[in-house]
Amino acid sequence: MNSANSAFYKKDILPVGAFAAVLLTMPFWFEYVGGYSGLDTKIVIWIIFAIGFDILLGYMGFLSFGHAAFFGTSAYFTGLMLLHYSDNILPAIAVGVISAIIMAFIIGFLTLKRTGIYFSILTLAFGEMLHSMVLSTLQDWTGGDNGLTGLPTPMLFGLKMQGDNVFYLTVIVAIVMYYIARRIISSPFGLMLKAIKSNQVRLEYTGVHVARYKLMGFVISAVYAGVAGALMIVYEPYVASEFMGWHLSGQVVIMSVLGGVGTLFGPMLGAAFMLYFENVVSVTIGEQWLLVLGAIFMLTVIFLPGGFVEAGSKIKKKLMGGSK
Amino acid sequence: MSDQAYFSVSDLHAYYGESYIVQGISFEIKEGEILALLGRNGAGKTTALSAIARMQDPQVHKGTITLDGQDLTGMKPFEAARAGVQLVPEDRRIIPGITVEENLIISQISEPIGWDLDRIYDHFPKLRERRSQEGVTLSGGEQQMLAVARALARGIKLLLLDEPYEGLAPTIVKEIEGIVREIKEMGITTIIVEQNAVAALKLSDKAIIMESGEIVYAGTAQEVLDNKELREQYLAI
Repeated sequence: MNSANSAFYKKDILPVGAFAAVLLTMPFWFEYVGGYSGLDTKIVIWIIFAIGFDILLGYMGFLSFGHAAFFGTSAYFTGLMLLHYSDNILPAIAVGVISAIIMAFIIGFLTLKRTGIYFSILTLAFGEMLHSMVLSTLQDWTGGDNGLTGLPTPMLFGLKMQGDNVFYLTVIVAIVMYYIARRIISSPFGLMLKAIKSNQVRLEYTGVHVARYKLMGFVISAVYAGVAGALMIVYEPYVASEFMGWHLSGQVVIMSVLGGVGTLFGPMLGAAFMLYFENVVSVTIGEQWLLVLGAIFMLTVIFLPGGFVEAGSKIKKKLMGGSK
Repeated sequence: MSDQAYFSVSDLHAYYGESYIVQGISFEIKEGEILALLGRNGAGKTTALSAIARMQDPQVHKGTITLDGQDLTGMKPFEAARAGVQLVPEDRRIIPGITVEENLIISQISEPIGWDLDRIYDHFPKLRERRSQEGVTLSGGEQQMLAVARALARGIKLLLLDEPYEGLAPTIVKEIEGIVREIKEMGITTIIVEQNAVAALKLSDKAIIMESGEIVYAGTAQEVLDNKELREQYLAI
């Protein structure tokens, strides 16, 4: 098993290295393609969110329409910690992520008994329940519709978490989490997730306690959402109630499908594309950008169900075939 | 081998929804024995086997199932699998989307673990050849092999084979027969459900014949082989 493990390590070096190189050099090339400082940080945060979402959707085969619940819960707790406890980001992020994990255990336990559309609708319902609680019952703590405002500048041991500092923090976190995701996918646990996707019932007859593994997969994806939610507050110390809303849940679904689910790389690409499109291309296109995005989404789903990744491999095939 | 029953079913009643299929059967097997469970189509053989493997369907309304001192009756499918029951169903139930080898590895994630991959491949060289091929793309006979291998990859106490020869070419049937013979030599307690009764009987110690959900005959396999009248009456062979 040891030799197999080291083979896995080697397999990871190239993609993780390439990923790190692209992200770390972003400040140097991003503005030449129309990007701007700040957008790069946001893209990296969404990439983290998308990686975790792909573990759930792409590998385990469960389409959650309520992942904002974990992003948002973590964002609120991170914000509350910064506001009331300390401006140090470490305890704030820790509490934020833990709150997302607890939420994932509760929601996962209640929703994972169902599959397919029933699971999706249940997660949507729970997500919206939390969203409306934020706006009503809990508004004394959450600031309701206004969001949580007045947060101090986040600090990391005397270092102001602004601009480049936040960018490099998120990049480091993203690299680590991408690496972890790759290891999860190639582990026996990852194999189990794939088997859950193709046939839960059959898997159960091999002696696997499927319900427990499903919950683990769900919680892992919520950890990624929670980390993303917490980093979003470090990036911009303001908690918007939209962080809990279905729009955000839908966005991560669209990103994943656009990029190509079940590839890790695809959803990351989808996340980058969507934010780039929303913030850069939209300026050139004007008000119609959402319409164009919708058209791109439809065309992708109809002609390239495997997303950008499928497009890439098709082009590669053509080129290779042409060179012969 | 002891004289006590290793596996026993007593007064088992199983339903598919409202349909009353297995109507109170009882039998015992000693450790290392092979039991042939025979009967015509619709006699309730597969239902009985599924009930023993504690599948979600059928529902057991009454009766007890005991294996090596453990009561299986209230167990969930994965708990029964952990207790040592492995069913090789007629449709083989290979997990799609993953390779032959992954199908084997996945059986070894939870305890108890049986044969390691090398031993499996030594016994089933075809599976080694096709280890990185998707499991469901194998031929019927190879899938049957994989299904049996997957059962052996777990630490099993009771092997349940549901019509292992069903729909296979005669040459493949020979191969599967060889595997079953090996299983017998290894001393794994086994129940074989078969319509092709002669092939199953030759390998079995005991035989049970079911008709309309009840046991109509129980004896040794040899007795059934010798008793032409009995075979004609219940098995039409």
